[in-house]
Amino acid sequence: MDNSLLISLSQQIAAYRSMDVIANNIANVSTPGFKRESAKFEEYVSKVRPAEGQSGAQAVSFVKDAGTTRDISQGNIQNTGAPLDMALNGKGFFTVATPQGERYTRDGHFSLDQDGRIVTSDGYAVQGEGGAITVTPTDGEIHVAADGTISSVVNGTLNQLGKLRLTDFADPRGLTKEGGNLYAAGQPGIPATATLVQGSLESSNVQPVLEISKMIEVMRAYEATATLSKSQADLNRDAIARLGAMPN
Amino acid sequence: MRALSIASTGMLAQQTNVEVIANNLANMNTTGFKQQRAEFQDLLYQNIQTPGAQTSDTGAVAPNGIQIGAGVKTAAIYRVTTQGDLKNTANPYDVAVQGPGYFRIQMADGTDAYSRAGNFSLDPQGQLVTQQGLVVQPGIAIPQNTISVSINAQGQVNATVAGNATPQTVGQLELTRFPNEAGLNAQGDNLFLETPASGSPQAGVPGTPGYGTIQQGFLETSNVNSVDEITALITAQRAYEMNSKVISAADQMLQNTARLGS
Repeated sequence: MDNSLLISLSQQIAAYRSMDVIANNIANVSTPGFKRESAKFEEYVSKVRPAEGQSGAQAVSFVKDAGTTRDISQGNIQNTGAPLDMALNGKGFFTVATPQGERYTRDGHFSLDQDGRIVTSDGYAVQGEGGAITVTPTDGEIHVAADGTISSVVNGTLNQLGKLRLTDFADPRGLTKEGGNLYAAGQPGIPATATLVQGSLESSNVQPVLEISKMIEVMRAYEATATLSKSQADLNRDAIARLGAMPN
Repeated sequence: MRALSIASTGMLAQQTNVEVIANNLANMNTTGFKQQRAEFQDLLYQNIQTPGAQTSDTGAVAPNGIQIGAGVKTAAIYRVTTQGDLKNTANPYDVAVQGPGYFRIQMADGTDAYSRAGNFSLDPQGQLVTQQGLVVQPGIAIPQNTISVSINAQGQVNATVAGNATPQTVGQLELTRFPNEAGLNAQGDNLFLETPASGSPQAGVPGTPGYGTIQQGFLETSNVNSVDEITALITAQRAYEMNSKVISAADQMLQNTARLGS
């Protein structure tokens, strides 16, 4: 009987979920390499008993989660001046070795660990063509070429230290986010076409104006549905009160 | 409603960001200060439907999963260790390091600390000390009746004593490098301590490969760029505001829910 209430409820659950996704985008507005997501919904059609005066089964549509899609467009390249900050321009990911296996990231803020290896903020070694890349204290200024070759200047000559291994995927939207700016892949990697910019970071591709207007839209849709539920509930209450009123 | 807690992580992160920027701006005129930057990471994700999950018996898979994030966290506050500009002071005991390397300073408890600030003075015994009176290592004593002191690019300290035309070498400044200088632990007073993350100190002579050179009569200014910092401050403030908007929107939705039953 209460299909309208249940349909409203499905929409309200969807609005909550949209709101969570928008909140996460806005919270990560200054996370380097972050890619914005949006919640997608689909119709779930259900057959119901015909109402009075109608014949045959009637269809009603509920709202159902279809997925969150990731916008993998390029973020702005922001200059930081730190020599081990690297921004990826184009398709591809840095390859990082974690205890759980290889992970991939677009966040190019790297530093050196106590052994001089190039690591992420969490201390995971960034992978070069031949494993981790080590910088010794006697190495001079670090140069990162656009193709990922890392070299240092020693006595005026360029000394090659290694080449970063960039990985791309046939379906980069299919990667799973793991937090900590890392992605896990369930598909084989392919060589990446991205170029590197040294001394910069790729900023998050969240567009604040877009997110705020989306948020207002979700909020208003929620309010409208809440009003609908309320009038439906009022209707039910009135009906019960009138029908159940004791005749004098 | 997750949106409330997600937005609060965003507000906390931006608050940290503003604090770091405020500290950079406050230290704009601190000798040898290195700009700091807050770095953020996304928090854990809740997998409601993993990407690639099967949607039918025939093997059709969902191209997109449903992953709801939990917000943002501060991953690190790191130091941008680029060279600061050199400022001429004409004070003979002001020395700046041009290139990599730290001065080694002995703390009151006998342990070593490291500093980029070369605004040194002499103590009553004629020893080269920092502004806190801590001795610069290895200890260099300037003779009593010295007329002039010169420090060359390689850190050799020469003093011309009254009655003797030829300067005599009274000491040699040394520089210390670390595998990861961003991993040093800042102590305040321009001093840094060695940590497991920084790696062990490696002393060397200024001007040798991998070590900077010494400039007498100069100080290294902070590498804070005020325009950059103000821009970052505006961005951080706006991001904070947006997160607070999310909180009020989520709150309004919850209020609507609460009104349903009335």
